Amino acid sequence: MATFLIAAAAPAAEKAATKDAAKDQKPAAKAPSKEQVRKETSSASATAAAAKAFEKVSAELYPKAKQEGNLIVYSVWDVEHLKVITDAFMKRYPGIKATYWQGRNPEIVTRALTEFQGGQASWDVVLSDNAPPVIRAAGAIMNYDTVQRDVLYLHDPTMPTVSLQVQALAYNTKKMKPADLPKSWEDVANPKYKGIVALDDPLRAGPLSSMLSGLKTQWNDDNRYSNFVKGLKALNVPVHQSTSAMFRLVISGEYSICMPALLHDVFEEIHKGTPVNYNKAVPPVVFPRQAGIYVKAPDPNAAKLFAEWLISEEGQKAIDSVGRETSRNDFKSHTSIEAAFGKNTKPIPVTDRNFLEDPKKWLDTNVKPIWG
Amino acid sequence: MPLVGSAIAGAAIITPVLVVLWRSFTTGRLGFNVGLNIANYVRVFGDKDIMAMLGNSVAYAGGSALLGTGVGALLAWIVARTNTPGKTLVELLPLYPILMPPIMKNIAWILLLAPRSGILNGMMQQFFGIETPIFNAFSMTGMIWVFGLACVPLGYLFLLPVFLSFDPSLEESAYIAGSKPVNTMLKITFPLAVPAFLSAFVLNFLRGLRSFETPVLQGTPANIKVFVSRVYDSMALEFNTGLATAYSVVLVALSVITLYFYVRATRFSDRYATITGKGYRVKVIDIGPWKYLTFFLVFIYFLVGIAIPFIVLIVVSMIPYFDYDTFMKFPTNAVLTNYYTVMRHPSFVTGLYNSLVLSVSIALVTVLAGIVMAFTIYRTRASGTRIFEFIGTLPLAFPPLVLSVGLVIIFLGTPLYNSLWALGIGLFVAYFPYAFRNASGSIVNIHKELDEAAWVHGARWRHVFFKITLPILKPSVGGALFYIFIEAIRNVDVAVLLTSPGREYGPVTLFEYFRVGQWAEAAAGGVVYLVILIAAVSIAKFAFKMKFSL
Repeated sequence: MATFLIAAAAPAAEKAATKDAAKDQKPAAKAPSKEQVRKETSSASATAAAAKAFEKVSAELYPKAKQEGNLIVYSVWDVEHLKVITDAFMKRYPGIKATYWQGRNPEIVTRALTEFQGGQASWDVVLSDNAPPVIRAAGAIMNYDTVQRDVLYLHDPTMPTVSLQVQALAYNTKKMKPADLPKSWEDVANPKYKGIVALDDPLRAGPLSSMLSGLKTQWNDDNRYSNFVKGLKALNVPVHQSTSAMFRLVISGEYSICMPALLHDVFEEIHKGTPVNYNKAVPPVVFPRQAGIYVKAPDPNAAKLFAEWLISEEGQKAIDSVGRETSRNDFKSHTSIEAAFGKNTKPIPVTDRNFLEDPKKWLDTNVKPIWG
Repeated sequence: MPLVGSAIAGAAIITPVLVVLWRSFTTGRLGFNVGLNIANYVRVFGDKDIMAMLGNSVAYAGGSALLGTGVGALLAWIVARTNTPGKTLVELLPLYPILMPPIMKNIAWILLLAPRSGILNGMMQQFFGIETPIFNAFSMTGMIWVFGLACVPLGYLFLLPVFLSFDPSLEESAYIAGSKPVNTMLKITFPLAVPAFLSAFVLNFLRGLRSFETPVLQGTPANIKVFVSRVYDSMALEFNTGLATAYSVVLVALSVITLYFYVRATRFSDRYATITGKGYRVKVIDIGPWKYLTFFLVFIYFLVGIAIPFIVLIVVSMIPYFDYDTFMKFPTNAVLTNYYTVMRHPSFVTGLYNSLVLSVSIALVTVLAGIVMAFTIYRTRASGTRIFEFIGTLPLAFPPLVLSVGLVIIFLGTPLYNSLWALGIGLFVAYFPYAFRNASGSIVNIHKELDEAAWVHGARWRHVFFKITLPILKPSVGGALFYIFIEAIRNVDVAVLLTSPGREYGPVTLFEYFRVGQWAEAAAGGVVYLVILIAAVSIAKFAFKMKFSL
């Protein structure tokens, strides 16, 4: 059962209506429609309410966090990113010393849960995508519901979603014309793309399997889902176990289409002038990156403060400054879903708790029997 | 005393192994205690796919070990025993490829050999009009080629001391009996190098069995699945260290079988003793015009072992992005942004310093302990010491992440946890097999008569060890020190769980670029790292007259 509350759903419908309204009133473009006013007011009020709630909780937590004095973060994020983010946090909250340890998701889960089983109060927050739900399933995460929940695309009442992993359908612009691109994720399974698609291994709990989980939930149609997986299999293309390596091979021209790529990677490459782009018409798959607070955290108040600060405007700016996607639906950034895919985009969220907490079991049930 | 030293080293190695083995009977998914059971083993031995995967693993590891150890042995023989021209250069050329970590070679060779976008296939198309790709990085041959090249240094460093300490009277007897040089080489020289060759082969084979990056990067696209991927899936997909260990036990069984053959093949160790009580000088063989071919072979190895992949990485680190056209436009499109990114890395300086200090210390301690254990097995009369043969090699059977979980569990709750000491012990356990196998391969070549002469004159073990064994082992000690230092300074897999928040260890952060697939930054980081090491090796060699087996 999905525990996520998709805060984006209502605003997205709103946005659709707004766009239609705007279209209708094109001649009087400067005069805002009633819908626009309502949306902006609503959005602005949600933003204001979130800011107020953050200031209040920040004022409550900071003195206690300062007394604790430390914050220990385990994360999958790049060291450069962690440094920028923790430096900004320490600048905002003097008296708290933030340190971090960086590893891959399996390493984070292994270390965090080995320490948990050993009774160690050794870390405060785990900041990652795949790891927090797995750690939570073992009972090592303290439930914490952010006070800024109303401005989040994906809200989980047990762990604050501080950023999003956004998957995009990327392609090599030297190899593919936009007109020839797949029109949807489902269209990638079209036999005409045989031989030119770089496919992430659907059995490794990587981006493609997250996408399958998201699509299965969204479609709620077993036949459609099964045909899609069979179609991908019928492409008979090599599968890859490293998303980034696969993306580099698309850039190099080994393949033309990347199924899928991570949006922040795509933007970074576009920024460098690499011949790569993404199909904006294909809705992104969004996976939560969460701040899970340890049940035995030695500095629980600093951990909560850090999680709240990451969602605040200031924290989101820090996240955005290192090129990572933000989690708020009211934050203006080039990587935000609205900016990257358009106003009416309905992202495909990955929210199936069974997949998030035990990917192996989910894949054995939902992918392996079809994929083989 | 050597027995006590060996027992301490053995205990340090066996304890984390026992911990993870115990957990394979008591642990399911991490975070859940399941009580004593054999569920993990039932799953492992009921796995229908493992035989096919083991077949792939044996082909890949065996092929790579054979290629790497064979080329290494040939290079060692050329350097030590022939009159190949350009002695100084020939001595140095095979050393530099050691500095390049396997993952750098993987990436460079993928860029060279990828079917559609690879540089070599592109050149074939551009210059010779050959449309069909000739090379394929994503194949078993491609995997064996790349990992085999990574196995050469070990073969070279293990065999070189043997060829350098060769009693020429054995070959001279063959010549007097009318044997030709090639015959003598095949029937006398190489057979006497069998223990060292097998030692290096066993190590390379076990490294191949548990190697993961080459199969992931090059094997998965070709649908070649190797056994160790099951171990990693158990950790990465199921978060079940118990199951990962149960799978690793299959690797332990394979290691035991491999070691059994090694022990059988070298059981008459006296036959291989080439260092005896007689004085001699190693004879360099005049191979006539063949010396130009041997020079060419060394040079070719230097090209494929480091020069070509290194050049590819330098270019990739300096072009905006990699594709064939952009690659061929270099240097007109050169940029230095990736170097700027790497040098600004928050852990670059502190991490490098920590890893330099630790790697030097660990190399010294590990090599000394390896020699003590080999000495205990082959030179003392204590019974049951052959068990050390197994214990000393055991860590190689466990993938690093599995082994480091054992270490984390041991250190948890002690003052050692999250300290550099824990990291040091972890690296000691991980690299002990290299030191030990190197020492045992070399000690077998020293005839017991040297020790016996000392024993007869009332010498104690320390006199024999420090005055006889250690000085004779000096060439191989240099090689092992060098190898372990190089390996330790770039270790990520063992170190990652043992580093603590706020305490940086260079390779973990620098090699993160490789791990996350940022190839351009990784190439820049790799180039910086290689330049530092090449400079360090060259300074050590020329300024301090340090010898690395040479």
